[in-house]
Amino acid sequence: MAGDTKAEDRPGVESPLTVEGPKGERLQAWFADHVRVASDTSLFVSQRLMSSFLVWLMVGVALTLPGLLWVAQSNVQAINQQWQGSAGLTVYMKLAASEQLIDDMEIRLNRETGVERVIRTTPDQALQELLEQSDESVFLRDAMAAVGSNPLPASFAVVLNDSSSYLQLDALSRKLSAQTGVDDVVIEMTWLERLRDLSDLVNRLGSGLSITLLIAAVLVAFASVRLAIESRLGELRVLALIGATPAQMRRPFLYFGSAYGIGGGVMAIMLIAVFLNQIEAPLQSLLVSYRAGIEIAGFTPGFLLAILLVGWFLGVAGAMLALFQRGGADKPPS
Amino acid sequence: MARLQLQHVTRRFDNGQEGLSDVSLSIESGSMVFLTGHSGAGKSTLLKMLIGAETPTTGRVLVDGSDVSQLGPKQMPWYRRQVGIVLQDHNLLEERTVFDNVALPLRITHLPAKDIARRVRGALSTVDLSDKGGLFPKHLSTGEQQRVGIARAVVNRPRIILADEPTGNLDPYLSRQVMSLFHQFCDLGSTVLVASHDIDLIKDQGCRILHLSQGALVQDTAGSSEATP
Repeated sequence: MAGDTKAEDRPGVESPLTVEGPKGERLQAWFADHVRVASDTSLFVSQRLMSSFLVWLMVGVALTLPGLLWVAQSNVQAINQQWQGSAGLTVYMKLAASEQLIDDMEIRLNRETGVERVIRTTPDQALQELLEQSDESVFLRDAMAAVGSNPLPASFAVVLNDSSSYLQLDALSRKLSAQTGVDDVVIEMTWLERLRDLSDLVNRLGSGLSITLLIAAVLVAFASVRLAIESRLGELRVLALIGATPAQMRRPFLYFGSAYGIGGGVMAIMLIAVFLNQIEAPLQSLLVSYRAGIEIAGFTPGFLLAILLVGWFLGVAGAMLALFQRGGADKPPS
Repeated sequence: MARLQLQHVTRRFDNGQEGLSDVSLSIESGSMVFLTGHSGAGKSTLLKMLIGAETPTTGRVLVDGSDVSQLGPKQMPWYRRQVGIVLQDHNLLEERTVFDNVALPLRITHLPAKDIARRVRGALSTVDLSDKGGLFPKHLSTGEQQRVGIARAVVNRPRIILADEPTGNLDPYLSRQVMSLFHQFCDLGSTVLVASHDIDLIKDQGCRILHLSQGALVQDTAGSSEATP
């Protein structure tokens, strides 16, 4: 058992006992330790890809609903803003109304106070729009051919200026309803008010549910990091024995929490993208039917970054909870 | 100058029992000393005091004049980096190679990789395991595992080596090999304190022997010059 220890490897027996690190090297050491831990974490996660994937999925599912609610709220706001800029009503003429009566109504509407724009839709245009919006246009076309005449009336979309109140709109609606040749007047605000009410309800329910799910995400990260701590108790005790600082011992687990949280965020982004992709077509169709052509808003780079940051924060919170709960894991072995 | 000093150290546990009772001793720099006594005599408690895992109820534990029991949580890791610890059950990390186990104390000090490699190779060579660096602990014999534990304890050039029953699981031949290693480190300037109840082995070493009984230091026998490492 021949030892070939060099003279330079001899312990610094005559140097004074040191109980703190060299100040100049602290930042460099801190950075080096982060690089080492990041590398170890990548290895740890990649060696347990299946279980890591399940954690990402659980955190991702928990983040998806709050993310979707945020997107939904953004879109409702966008619809509100668009509608507020084009407040109005739709006047449906009777089928039997003559062309002259319809022309007179257009002139009258354009003269009304507060009216910004009048868009006339002829029965033929209405039918064309209907056919374009319907997936079953062939069936509809056949049905129309069987009927022999266009069953749709002429109509006017009346856009009021921004200063118009609901009361003015309601008064105008009543006045127009009484006119000869008018079949019905529909204030376009009705559906929007319902949407707002529904949105408020969903927001209130969703907020509670979102908080619950975010807590669930923290608990998933907590449980996963706790398992990681348990599986590395021996290592932690050895590290304490050989002089690892508490921060050095905590750091790998905070990185695990970060990895689980950010991975969950990526998973949530993918789930939200899939969900939005699924609802985009029917939603567009619905909005077009209300003449509210709106792109789905909210799925922006900022939103994606926010989801990742929230995921990271929740993961780190779970890891800190696990470290706090498993205090004392860094004691040397007896 | 005394490297290790215990001044009237008493450790009283919560149940009222005393792990150590008014123990005072001094160990010179570069010496090898054995600590012996029956189970429960206080050997492990004394070693724990020296690594800062236990604090004395009364008295002081001094290393190079610094009171270990007064070190705060931020200072303790830096102190422990200067102490090499060898345990009976090795405490090797099973999922890491021999090389990585030995490198662990150096990695936490952020030594450059090439320096780590050089020093780990040196430590493995010292314990005659140069060709085992790539193996995992489960592929080694008990004696080899103990030598890996020793390599890990000395790779950081500690000023003090504390060994708690380092030969407890070894046969007489391997036990003598381990003792021989401790003598080598002692010759290099480390202060070595070995807790053991293997009286025959201890007597063969010709070193100073501290005998503990029921927490008290009852005998302090000076070493002879006829050591047979």
